[in-house]
Amino acid sequence: MELPIRLSKTSREPIYHQIENQIKALIAGGYLQTGSPLPSIRLLAKDLETSVITIRRAYQNLEYQGFIQTEQGKGTFVAEIAKEKKQQVKITSVYQAFENALDVAISYEYTVEQIKEIFEEVLESRSHKGDANK
Amino acid sequence: MKTLAEIRQIQKQVDEFTLGPLDLTVEAGTITALVGNNGSGKSTLLKLMMNLAKADTGNIKIANTLVNDPEEEWKTHIAYQPQTMIGWDAFTGKALRDFIAPLYPAWDDELFNQLIQAFSIPLNKRFAKLSQGMQRKLSLALTISRNTSILLLDEPTAFMDISSKQKLMQFLTEWMESGERAIVMSTHQVDDITKLADYLCVLQDGNWKGTYEKETMQHMYWQYWMRDALPSEPFPGEVSREGKQFITNKPEATETYLDEHQLSIVNQQTLDLEATLTLLLNK
Repeated sequence: MELPIRLSKTSREPIYHQIENQIKALIAGGYLQTGSPLPSIRLLAKDLETSVITIRRAYQNLEYQGFIQTEQGKGTFVAEIAKEKKQQVKITSVYQAFENALDVAISYEYTVEQIKEIFEEVLESRSHKGDANK
Repeated sequence: MKTLAEIRQIQKQVDEFTLGPLDLTVEAGTITALVGNNGSGKSTLLKLMMNLAKADTGNIKIANTLVNDPEEEWKTHIAYQPQTMIGWDAFTGKALRDFIAPLYPAWDDELFNQLIQAFSIPLNKRFAKLSQGMQRKLSLALTISRNTSILLLDEPTAFMDISSKQKLMQFLTEWMESGERAIVMSTHQVDDITKLADYLCVLQDGNWKGTYEKETMQHMYWQYWMRDALPSEPFPGEVSREGKQFITNKPEATETYLDEHQLSIVNQQTLDLEATLTLLLNK
């Protein structure tokens, strides 16, 4: 597998959208650098066990938003992206992760107070390990 | 996208069995898997596409030409691998290659040699002396190398060992890379379907159940596990239930219903392709 993309079996988010967002995150996070090649549509479809139609849709959206560019006969590459845009992707994905966690908590009927408590506790245990509060 | 083959309202009766009516459009750059139980009409459909069987009604166009056209130029655009090769037993792989290669203007000898090497196929043995798996590999090598724009494969990976299947998938993936070719394949192998197919044409006892884009199929059915016992009334779109879990094809309506009735979900997920196909074929 060329790209560390994991499709969710539990999310109703369309598959092309999941792929689109995860590639954006790989670009924003620096795993995919400007100019690095992306797998061909057919190859990524095989790796992710989806169809070329789905991958093409994801690539087209990414290209439209300026994250990647296709050079005729050469392939698809990561485009030059402004810092602010990368920042925006990071912010969105962090918000998304918190929203997902909240959904789980709400489904177990936790109150806002309890959720805050859990958040504080998790943060606290992390700072002991030294990987937060840097 | 360029249309390479077009099937319209095709129907074919063989004794008690009727295939169709069925439509199928094959576009460049796509792989279509024909799926269905044994005897569902997959091989018959491939034969109709090659004009090896005549349709009762409807028509089939390959490269914009009707397949029953007296002018048979369309045959150079399509290569077909049947399940059994008739009349090959007495010949060696080399003799077969020398016979077939000149018939196809786009024959790719380099690709042929790569396939022969990758699958360690002996070219000096007579076809009848090869194992079933080896016969399948040789006939695939002799079919893929014709380099036609359409490839029809009838259960290409049957009798193949795991590593050969992987290699074949690799070859077909690369063969499709240009985006100008198409494959139609019948298969019972889950891997062929999950890793290669873009469209699934589903057949049941000759009845065409539809052709689905893979993503549509991957999100067709949803399974829910509930905290409490299920109410006796069926859920919206419910197709089956067992214990505290059920399957529906209307997830939005189901979740609205669950909200309204304050029922708690423990977990939920889409059904995998294999389970989805089983459901479709048993409806």
